[in-house]
Amino acid sequence: MTTLTRQDLNFGQVVADILCEFLEVAIHLILYVREVYPSGIFQKRKKYNVPVQMSCHPELNQYIQDTLHCVKPLIEKNDAEKVVVVIMDKEHHPVERFVFEISQPPLLSISSDTLLSHVEQLLRAFILKISVCDAVLNNNPPGCSFTVLVHTRDVATRNMEKVQVIKDFPWIVADEQEVHMQEPRLIPLKTMTSDIVKMQLYVEERAQKT
Amino acid sequence: MDELYLDNIDEFVNDHNKIVTYKWLSLTLGVHVNTAKQMLYHYLDHKRKESSAQLHATYLVSGKFVDNGQTSHKISVVREDQLEDFKAKMSLIVSVHVYSVQKALLKDSSPLYSVDYDAVKDNLKNCSKYSAIHCTSAVPMSSLELQQRREMQRAPTPEPAVKKTGMNGEANLASKPSTKPPKGIMGMFGNKAAPKNQDSGKEVKLEQKEDAPVADAPKSKPAAKTNPMINFFGTQTAKKPDNKTVKVEEAAQTLSTAEQQHQGSQPEEKHEAAAVESPKDIKKDSRSKTKRIEDSDSEEEKMEKKKRRRIKKPEPDSSDEDVIPDSPQQMETREKSPSPVKEVESVSHSHQGVSEVKIRKRRRVLKSRTFVDDEGCIVTEKGYESESYSEAEDDAQATKQAPKGPVPAKLPASSKEGEKKSQKKMSANANKGTKQASIMGFFQKK
Repeated sequence: MTTLTRQDLNFGQVVADILCEFLEVAIHLILYVREVYPSGIFQKRKKYNVPVQMSCHPELNQYIQDTLHCVKPLIEKNDAEKVVVVIMDKEHHPVERFVFEISQPPLLSISSDTLLSHVEQLLRAFILKISVCDAVLNNNPPGCSFTVLVHTRDVATRNMEKVQVIKDFPWIVADEQEVHMQEPRLIPLKTMTSDIVKMQLYVEERAQKT
Repeated sequence: MDELYLDNIDEFVNDHNKIVTYKWLSLTLGVHVNTAKQMLYHYLDHKRKESSAQLHATYLVSGKFVDNGQTSHKISVVREDQLEDFKAKMSLIVSVHVYSVQKALLKDSSPLYSVDYDAVKDNLKNCSKYSAIHCTSAVPMSSLELQQRREMQRAPTPEPAVKKTGMNGEANLASKPSTKPPKGIMGMFGNKAAPKNQDSGKEVKLEQKEDAPVADAPKSKPAAKTNPMINFFGTQTAKKPDNKTVKVEEAAQTLSTAEQQHQGSQPEEKHEAAAVESPKDIKKDSRSKTKRIEDSDSEEEKMEKKKRRRIKKPEPDSSDEDVIPDSPQQMETREKSPSPVKEVESVSHSHQGVSEVKIRKRRRVLKSRTFVDDEGCIVTEKGYESESYSEAEDDAQATKQAPKGPVPAKLPASSKEGEKKSQKKMSANANKGTKQASIMGFFQKK
């Protein structure tokens, strides 16, 4: 049984890698399931040994990758509290918010050899839940767009502004109207607890979408 | 019992918002698949009559399908709304049954696979317990049969036998795919010159075995195992792991496991990095190496005998080691280490049956001593000195020398001048890097 602390950056990087890979797949899947983009741009690919839908559009892919590239250092240092995928209507009012609440235990303990395969199984369950989430959600109005918000702890944002992780890809503090939603309904989707990370996914949905 | 399953399915579908496939249901409730299919059908029927919640279903349709005059048996999973159309297109319908029931309208079939994936994985040993497809002769092998199979595979020469790896994979799911690597590596050998095939394969294996006793390095990643392979590929000439095979004889006493080889190859990995062809090759090699080790005990012995004969030959010539050759003859290299190596060999034989732990041995090394003579001049003399070394250094130097070993067939033709020059060259090259310091022990210090 190995106990590692947060100072063990290698392991922190591993966890951040795992989470960012998962978030990338999850964002693509959300865009597919909620029909933010036409399903023609999506292609079946394999992740965690199951088929998932990923987009082929290069600019969209680049945008998502750049976003997660900037989020990764925050996750490494456990500064990211929530990563939110917001779907907004034409007037840029949020209609749906997929909230991934992430927390990492301060003392990471690898208690078993099958840790990573266990984590893979849990992430697979997340993917499955996103696939069927349209059963519990109302349809979105046409012409939606999306954005990614990150809720950080403490002073992490100041650090981010100092160090621009990717050039020409600046992060700005989100507007009030993007963050707050009128009359939100909370629909929990999935929770997972493992030795290396605890994650919760729920959806906040606006009561009246159109 | 009769009505209970309806509540169960209701709970799964409505409360948990799960996708309930017939396979998942049969594994969860422990019933035969046909029973599960009927359960789903009744549930759907029941709910539709109540018309309470909106449910979606997918169906599996199988039957004969005529396409441009070609008849084929088609099996498809279709959504409920496409069911009637699909049934109309088929010429003969063999079976139609409910595949899954869920609340959400599925846009694609990926989640259906995901649902069954975890259920099957959890019940891997008995996933066909409730299945309707059954083959009486498909029975898992007992451990005795497994062992017999493994021994059978070791006996034939390691040719790229892909089908064998398949068998191994089936036979023992839990065990590592050990037979795969050697076949893979032999396949790569097959692409190289034909005469090299057998020998190089065995030499590589022997090298790997030799690494085993060096248990000083931490557990290495699979990539580390490719070092002997890298030796082989890294040098562009027809150098053979001649000296290395001698060392192998020593180590051959100890049968190594795959883990030991991992450990052993770690030190070599670092200074072999330069000789690497490409990351992909290495990975492939390393995988193939792992299994190689376990095979071929008999071949090892054959090689040992061969190597012994070869090494004894140049012994009488070792008195001329100080001569510096004029022209480098890389093709006809021969380590000058034969004489000290022979010492090593004899020493090692006395250590027969030794474990994988590092062994310190004494050997005679050509060293140069610098001293001030009577007239006050600084004189550098070369002479053999007895020195103790550990196998770790020896391995490091052996791997470096390995690529320089000549092909056994070329032995008689090799010229001494060529040997010396190449050895000097190698010592010059070996100057770089901390691990290669041990090689200097063999050659004169410059």
